Amino acid sequence: MGSLSLSRIMAVTSNTFREALRQRILLGLVPFAIVLFGGGLLLRQISVFQEVKILKDLALAAMDLFGSFAAVVMGVDLVNREIERRSAYPILARPLLRSEFVVGKFFGLVAALGVNLVLMTLLLAIALWAMGSEMTAGFLPAPYGIFLTLVLTIALALFFSVITNSILAFTFTIVMVIAGRFSDVVRNMAEVLPDIPRAVPQALALALPNLQNFDFKLRAVYSDPIDPNVLVLVTLYAGFYCMVVLALSVMAFEKKELV
Amino acid sequence: MNQALSALEFRGLAKTFKLGPWHKAHQALADVTLSVTSGEIFGYLGPNGAGKTTTLKILFGLVRPQNGQITVLGRPHADRSWRAKTGYLPENPYLYDSLTPREYLTYAAKLSGLPSQGLARRVDETLDLVGLGEARHRQIRTFSKGMVQRAGIAQALVGDPELVILDEPMSGLDPIGRALVRRLILDLKSRGKTVFFSTHILADAEILCDRVAILRAGRVVSQGPLAEILQVDVSHMEVICTGVVDPATLSAVEGIRVASAAGARLHLEVQNSSLSQAIAKIESGGGRIVSVLPERKTLEEVFLDEVQGTSPNRSKVASWEA
Repeated sequence: MGSLSLSRIMAVTSNTFREALRQRILLGLVPFAIVLFGGGLLLRQISVFQEVKILKDLALAAMDLFGSFAAVVMGVDLVNREIERRSAYPILARPLLRSEFVVGKFFGLVAALGVNLVLMTLLLAIALWAMGSEMTAGFLPAPYGIFLTLVLTIALALFFSVITNSILAFTFTIVMVIAGRFSDVVRNMAEVLPDIPRAVPQALALALPNLQNFDFKLRAVYSDPIDPNVLVLVTLYAGFYCMVVLALSVMAFEKKELV
Repeated sequence: MNQALSALEFRGLAKTFKLGPWHKAHQALADVTLSVTSGEIFGYLGPNGAGKTTTLKILFGLVRPQNGQITVLGRPHADRSWRAKTGYLPENPYLYDSLTPREYLTYAAKLSGLPSQGLARRVDETLDLVGLGEARHRQIRTFSKGMVQRAGIAQALVGDPELVILDEPMSGLDPIGRALVRRLILDLKSRGKTVFFSTHILADAEILCDRVAILRAGRVVSQGPLAEILQVDVSHMEVICTGVVDPATLSAVEGIRVASAAGARLHLEVQNSSLSQAIAKIESGGGRIVSVLPERKTLEEVFLDEVQGTSPNRSKVASWEA
């Protein structure tokens, strides 16, 4: 077993990033822009003084929805498609480690969806400017939280795609992402269902990604300031969770036979 | 065989797959042992499902063998350093179709550890070599099947490998593409590279290979220098003639068989003992001798004998009795 090479990981990352862009991931920006600017015009007609808040709310929801959908679909395809189409064969025949392949693919998609999110945020800033408002720095934790959600979603989709087929991976990832958005319900399960052992909700709460941690949308819309320490903590949580899921993905992929 | 000259060696390679919902065991490879000498062109032949692709997947770590040892370029299989000096074309390659061949080859070259200095030149040279220089900026999705195959060959060659492994390199190529790949393979040999390729197209193997191995149901049933495998049958001669007025008079003579006829041109199989009689008969029948050669088996005949499990001698006897 050789040692990890940063240059090989970077090569896989940049190739995955380029492929994602060529697959017209950025085309998602078009409906987003239509929703944003069309919605802005409409809101001016039907709401008084609330149009900026509603637009921010609408835009963040669209960023979250589109980003999560893209993260699940593209994350599931990230490794599986390469195996099904056999495009991974001449790549893995090189001095590239399977772990480098998995990690490189992961960061490539994270970068592509990250760029997409940045562009969406810029479009929102332009729409706000067009409405005579502005996007302050206090708003940015909201798209940052969405970004961390997408990173975890990609990691989960990648993991499931390595251990099972595309359809099941898609299903499992969706279930995890939805459950992760209701992690407080899972944690409080013991109170609703007192008969189940306490270890079950505790284990579930640990295993599921707590995506509520990253939801700053409402606070950002209402300009409620967010403590920078909270941002550091959620970043550390996302990093740790991703590391564990990526390590499991690598272990599973190392054992996988590419028949 | 001299160990120092061996570019690739399989010893006792075995692989069993578990197929279907009941995990029924299917032995894909059983005790495959062969050695490829440095600088030679080695043909790995076998019908569909014989285990050729499985052998190559094991070589590149895509699947794991149950048993066996592999040595590549004198290094043990677990030592990954040989991979940088090896190029691999999988069967029916699917390349990243949203990339251009130039981008794809650059990616492949980086993964093989080529230094960035001179990398662009090396990529362009390789694309020119496979005849894709003009298409270097087109997305692979716009390529024909033959062009994709050539791009696949280019990615195998971009790292200037010492050992080139090609799984069905002629697949999907038109006659011009096949001629180009044949020329490439011979060029690699002339530059001291070792080429190991699997193929169904026996005519190509016959033209190109120094040695071949024939695989049947996961077992190597024959291997050796092509000249030895395509043994010369000294008991028979191949006579080609034209202008014989009545070919039926030739068939009536013992030891002469009309193997094929194309217009006025006859292809005869003649026992050595009947050769002078056959020549006299042709000339007296108004014919003209075009050639008289010792009969030589084609690789296709050898291949069919081996994969059908028929003895060459028995099939010969049968054809004479027919």
